[in-house]
Amino acid sequence: MIARIAALIRFPFGLRGAPWLPLIVLGAVLVFAAGGEAFAPQDPNGLDLGVSFHPPCWQQGGGLANPLGTDNLGRDVLSRIIAGCRISVIVAFYAIVFSGGIGALLGMVSGYFGGKADALLMRLIEIQQSIPAIALALILAAVLEPGLNTVVIVIVLTYWSWYARIIRGEILALKGRDYIAFARVAGVGTPTIFFRHLLPNIRNTLLVLATLQVGQVILFEATLSFLGLGIQQPDVSWGLMLADARQYITNAWWTITMPGIAIMLTCLSANLVGDWLRDLLDPHLRQL
Amino acid sequence: MRGLRVSLLAAFLFAAPRVALSEETPAKGDLVVALAAEPTTLDPVKYAAGVDTYVLTDLFEQPLKPDPSGKTQNWLAESWSMGGTPDKRILDVHIRPGVTFHNGDPLTAADYEFSYQRLRDPAQSRWSHRQALIESFEIIDSLHFRLHFREPDAGYVADELQLWAMPKRYFEQVGAEGFAKHPVGTGPWRFVSWQIKDEMRLEAYDNYWNKEHRPGVKNLTIKFIPEDLTRVAAYKTGAVDWIDAVPPAMVQEFRSLPNTATFSAVDGNNLFIELPQDLPKSPFNDVRVRQAAAYAIDMDAIISKVLFGQGKRYAELGEGEPGYDPALKPYPFDQRKARELLRAAGYPNGFDTSCYNLTTPREPNMKEMGEAVFAYLSAAGIRCRIVQMEYGAWITHGRRGRPGQPLDGPTSWMWGHGVPGDAGTPWSGHLHSYEPGKGWGDSSHTSDSQADTLLEQARRALDPAHRADLLRQIAFRKHAEVLGGITTYQPLVTFAWRADTVKFQPWPWPGFWRSFQELGRKQ
Amino acid sequence: MIRLIRRRIGQGLVSILGASIIIFVISRLSGDPTTLLVPPEAPPETIAAIRATLGLDRPIYMQYAIFLAHALTGDFGISYRWQTPALTLILDRMPATIELAVTGLLFSVVIATPTGVYSALHRGGLIDRACRVFAMLGQAMPAFWVGLLLILVFSIHLNWLPAFGFGGISHVVLPGIALGWYPVAAQMRIVRSAMLDVLDSDHILVSRALGTPEWLIVWKYAFRNAAVPLLTMLGVYFAAMLGGAFVVETIFAWPGVGRTVVEAVFSRDFPVVQAGVLFTSILFVVSNLLVDISYGLVDPRIRDDR
Repeated sequence: MIARIAALIRFPFGLRGAPWLPLIVLGAVLVFAAGGEAFAPQDPNGLDLGVSFHPPCWQQGGGLANPLGTDNLGRDVLSRIIAGCRISVIVAFYAIVFSGGIGALLGMVSGYFGGKADALLMRLIEIQQSIPAIALALILAAVLEPGLNTVVIVIVLTYWSWYARIIRGEILALKGRDYIAFARVAGVGTPTIFFRHLLPNIRNTLLVLATLQVGQVILFEATLSFLGLGIQQPDVSWGLMLADARQYITNAWWTITMPGIAIMLTCLSANLVGDWLRDLLDPHLRQL
Repeated sequence: MRGLRVSLLAAFLFAAPRVALSEETPAKGDLVVALAAEPTTLDPVKYAAGVDTYVLTDLFEQPLKPDPSGKTQNWLAESWSMGGTPDKRILDVHIRPGVTFHNGDPLTAADYEFSYQRLRDPAQSRWSHRQALIESFEIIDSLHFRLHFREPDAGYVADELQLWAMPKRYFEQVGAEGFAKHPVGTGPWRFVSWQIKDEMRLEAYDNYWNKEHRPGVKNLTIKFIPEDLTRVAAYKTGAVDWIDAVPPAMVQEFRSLPNTATFSAVDGNNLFIELPQDLPKSPFNDVRVRQAAAYAIDMDAIISKVLFGQGKRYAELGEGEPGYDPALKPYPFDQRKARELLRAAGYPNGFDTSCYNLTTPREPNMKEMGEAVFAYLSAAGIRCRIVQMEYGAWITHGRRGRPGQPLDGPTSWMWGHGVPGDAGTPWSGHLHSYEPGKGWGDSSHTSDSQADTLLEQARRALDPAHRADLLRQIAFRKHAEVLGGITTYQPLVTFAWRADTVKFQPWPWPGFWRSFQELGRKQ
Repeated sequence: MIRLIRRRIGQGLVSILGASIIIFVISRLSGDPTTLLVPPEAPPETIAAIRATLGLDRPIYMQYAIFLAHALTGDFGISYRWQTPALTLILDRMPATIELAVTGLLFSVVIATPTGVYSALHRGGLIDRACRVFAMLGQAMPAFWVGLLLILVFSIHLNWLPAFGFGGISHVVLPGIALGWYPVAAQMRIVRSAMLDVLDSDHILVSRALGTPEWLIVWKYAFRNAAVPLLTMLGVYFAAMLGGAFVVETIFAWPGVGRTVVEAVFSRDFPVVQAGVLFTSILFVVSNLLVDISYGLVDPRIRDDR
């Protein structure tokens, strides 16, 4: 992600109109994710019932020890939000890499070869999309243990088809191009065609899709946590914080609002950046 | 703690039926109530969990019933006695005359025989095991029957003589499906309609036999609202007049709302931390390790902070249960002692274990409670790797004789003693050692021969005083050796209703206090 | 053309069958439903008897064969938990689900259309950006958070709208907003880009030169271009909402299909899970089919390429 952004900045016209604020927010998230607990003022899992429900520092009863307050088990909200950055990035990274990788590969194969492989893939996509994702998540979490791995697996199984379908469309359009036909005639092997001719052309699409998926992944994880099937202790995720704080919405507003704001800012930033990238690199994807 | 006991006492006193809140004339008016969980069946032989009794109690009745103060009264049974020889007991029951079903049919011994046959049939009933010790049913005349036991069963009496009054003639007319769609019983309410996941409608039964304790309103609509905030909103906006399960965090607020009456009581569930004691190699086989775990948990702090005080600490037996002895106190919080015991047991640096937590909130905040408990264990040296489980996985986890990994670490568990409460059946299930095929210990991870012997004696002890003494002895042994888990707390449930329009007298069982036996509209 | 339709229907049936097999198999991997159906002290004999009654002791391929045979006659079995026919359970929740989905879509269109149009008219400006951010809020907040906040503000604090249950129009407003919030961003984008495509065209230029009022140009001529892609997207979202509104339904105690299916998975109520997934997969396949056929009608290339 960082390398991609660095590559983009080399575009001479890329800087103009770039959404600075979202990029800064995303950068901060990445920094926190990399630095991890070093940034957190306290142990995100440090349970201390004696200090539960301390309000944020600007309210009566709050203090600088817990700038954003503490939750129902006395854990520091700010530290948990920072720890949540890492989980969000990890989940988003693995989810995007695997669902994007698998989906793109299948899309390329199906779009390029057509025929039976294509028909099979379209059926698989249809089957997968017709099974409610939540039902799938539930069943998987019952078979495996709920946790980080299960969340990633569920997201991959849900979102691969999104990539596959779009990449397939791209490949279908590319297939007709002359230079692909020439390469075939010249006897260039299929893997070479894939990696040297097709892949560079869909790189931009993949980038846009990946960025747009970040927000969806975070929201999906939050929904899984709402059901109790998302990230589990001792991992911390914003979705988990949100789901756990539901019943304190009236008497401890910060426990549910702070993680909600973290989610909102990150998703909004990712979507705005994705939007900008799409307008910049691949305007015909506006239909997404 | 003291405040809890006082308020509980106050609740019991307030609830004592000194004043009948109902009228003689047919009831009028409408009320809307909201329950937090929906029953899955209205057939007394098919219910499986406590939540299923919430509405069952309004439609069906048993021969005995505990009154609001917890004392068991004769209900549909006008009188009963346990006779026969010490080995072949005979339960003799006289049925109250004048009781009718919702369709007008009178209640007779033939209906009880029909009920008995349905209850003991494993093809229809989930409770056939409870009738297992009965040899035969004898009808003496239309209001008199006898049950012949092949072995003494003290649990039968403790369970209010179990037999639900079900209408034989009606069932034969409409069949099992018709009965399931439109149940008919002897209870104070008659069934009108049910939209699953939405609402149920009941109507007060005008010819209900008990003229003293009956509903004071004609039409009752029960809404099912599982989400806490939504249920609270329903009450605050005036959409419902009575709500179930005020969230623990809001109980304080509800008690001070204008025009709102509340009632809090132990809802009949008993939570504990199960420990595996019969695996070949487990640190928990050593009683010192188990005691260390008990000392390591600051349950009072958890009840106060995580449960907002909505829990009652108990040591083996809850207050009011047979065998309860106030001298038996829960383990105090003592981390130093916990570490000492671990060191003595050979774990100076503690040890690692999996700890199993339930995430589905069968009781409010159970997940957080479990996380807090396991955090305390970890702090003392019993380092927990928390495994979160949703209800379906969790309920299988504790059972014996099932495939998969056995229960090998502290597990957040529960087995309600009911209201007013009796530990006989729960302890037969999770304290007595596992004997496949004999009906003992199907969820047990303990193996203590002394407790086993006492439990088997208690099953046969029909004299209430003798039985209470046996249960008391079991409780002391269970506590000293930390058998069958570390008892944590009994959750409190709080109801709230509009003080100016609603009259409500809570009855404990069936229904775990969610009984509308005496619910009415103020004139 | 007929061949295309026949082929697509055949393929659709394969998808539906595939989905039902997958769910059938993996739900049985999720655990044993019988422990959830009996009281805790029920002995293993009771559990075994119930397993036999429910037919769960047979090998899995036989269970599926029986299920399929019955399903073809419309019998999807009896719900383990509710002891009513599974299909009835699903179909009875349909009206509520449809009402919620329609309201959600209505809300999203009502928000997305003016936002998209306005943003296209003021392209590149601050208003454009503000509209885009506003529309994207829906994809930046989890639906259950939105639902809870709506209840807090509009029900508890302001007491304008009821928070739960299936009743009159007022009951569907808050859940509709919570549900419809998510697709707003994508719909706004479609409207915006379709408008942008057409606003620069000669046709519009001429109309302007002739002095046609601006609002007529925007809404009668330009918006027409956006209508078709918008409708297509609505079709896709409608199918998704019918099956997947579970979170909103739970929060607002809305008796819909999504909630029924999810709660059935939790309680290992296999007949209801199967009936529910079959229902959503049929819906999905049918809506896909209609979209593909309509594309085939419009675009001959696609017709031949498949």
